[in-house]
Amino acid sequence: MFGRLKTEKTEPPEANIPGLQDIPEAGIGYHIDAWWWLVALVAGLIAILSITKPDPYWRIVLFVRDGIGITVLITVVSFILMLFVGMLGGLGRISKNKFIHLVTTLYVELVRGIPLLVQLIWWYFAFPVIIKQIGVWTHVGFLSNYQANAIVLAIFGFVFCYGAYMSEIFRAGIQSIPKGQMEAARSLGMSYFQSMRYVVLPQAFRVILPPVGNEFIALLKDSSLVSAVALADLTRRGREFMAANFDPLQVWTMIALLYLVMTLFSARIVNYIERRTKFER
Amino acid sequence: MKDNNEPIIKIENIHKRFGKVHALRGVNLQVKKGEVVVIVGPSGSGKSTLLRCINRLEEYTSGKIIVDGIPLDTAQNINLVRQEIGMVFQSFNLFAHLTVLDNLMLAQKIIRKRSPEESRKIALDLLKKVGIPEKLNAYPAQISGGQQQRVAIARALAMNPRIMLFDEPTSALDPEMIKEVLDVMMELAKEGMTMVVVSHEMGFARAAAHRIIFMDEGQIVEEAPPEVLFTNPKQERTKRFLSKVLNH
Repeated sequence: MFGRLKTEKTEPPEANIPGLQDIPEAGIGYHIDAWWWLVALVAGLIAILSITKPDPYWRIVLFVRDGIGITVLITVVSFILMLFVGMLGGLGRISKNKFIHLVTTLYVELVRGIPLLVQLIWWYFAFPVIIKQIGVWTHVGFLSNYQANAIVLAIFGFVFCYGAYMSEIFRAGIQSIPKGQMEAARSLGMSYFQSMRYVVLPQAFRVILPPVGNEFIALLKDSSLVSAVALADLTRRGREFMAANFDPLQVWTMIALLYLVMTLFSARIVNYIERRTKFER
Repeated sequence: MKDNNEPIIKIENIHKRFGKVHALRGVNLQVKKGEVVVIVGPSGSGKSTLLRCINRLEEYTSGKIIVDGIPLDTAQNINLVRQEIGMVFQSFNLFAHLTVLDNLMLAQKIIRKRSPEESRKIALDLLKKVGIPEKLNAYPAQISGGQQQRVAIARALAMNPRIMLFDEPTSALDPEMIKEVLDVMMELAKEGMTMVVVSHEMGFARAAAHRIIFMDEGQIVEEAPPEVLFTNPKQERTKRFLSKVLNH
């Protein structure tokens, strides 16, 4: 009830520093901000290990560097695409059109019932078989010679799976906006989609920001599953290093710390955006 | 083409069913240009449903509504009709993520295609008219209910509607804020705006209405100018209702 708005354009930046405003929440705001120290602590730990014992720790970091790139690439690209899928899915789930509603509901229910790892394996090993078969039937050369691209199919798998979860988040977010907002927009002569775009979705985005942020972090962690489908992500590079050097304790501790610093950092970013866009209802 | 006696709203034998509930049972009503009609009646009598049918926020089951010469059920584009009908809600329904000024400018920009300067000027003039020129950068949650409702009226007026619908505009307000909203509505009525108002404010009805419609159980029971209806109601049901709402 007391939170003042943080989206006003004219607001000076210092107004967002916890403690200067939001008096009743100041304690919480300060507490949350203090978690940046945890990020620094984990990053510092990685640095100290790398400096004091460059063998094996710095060697591990150098070895898995490209794996970090793959992990971040898959996570970020999948996340951006799944936002679109989630928005369309969410709109479909609340659609009055029975067919659209049925298709999106079926999609969500099916995807939620299959383990992500199985889905990723299916897209990588089973999907290309279908493509090739279609190519054979239709005599289209580039389909019958289709070579599975691990990155593309992994991203496809993540977007397909997480898109379903994201659809439910979008649906809940849209439905949390009072019906009167849509009615007011419609009564001014806006179409359904104009009302969604200018009135309902901007408000829904702020509602779903925390769960969407959580999805990003969950995706970052789940991206380690792609090591099962021939992709040299952070986890797989760790396994390769271990296979060559036989030092599981050092390798997996370092891999765990690297994941941790990424997830903690993401959580801080999400938290920051969340506080910037909060508004009073 | 439209002379002044031609009704701007024509409602013919409207029925509305919500599942088993028969909310409107054959309502006929005509509203002339510039007329102020106040609909009163007990809760559940179908007054709000009838009002919401006029801009088709509520789909009716059968019957015919013609607004400004356009039959609603065959209207190619209901949005075009709605642009000419302003609506004010019981719960204000200001866009919570926009400032007062942006609330007034949004539809002007995307529907009326006015330039930012023009919409801003219209918005500022209207805020002055409803008496809150200083709150333009506030968000809805930062101003009082009475102020929110006046902004909502201004937002509807910014579209230059030919008709204004009010759905219990003061029912969600604290007593001390009711007057500021009614004053704005009274002003509008004086200017000759066509208004259909669902309200429990008998004082407003008496002072501003050309005609009072009394509804009960989905039907219009009686209609008459306020001085006739309040002093000399013909129907038993009207008498019973008025004795309850007027004597307190």
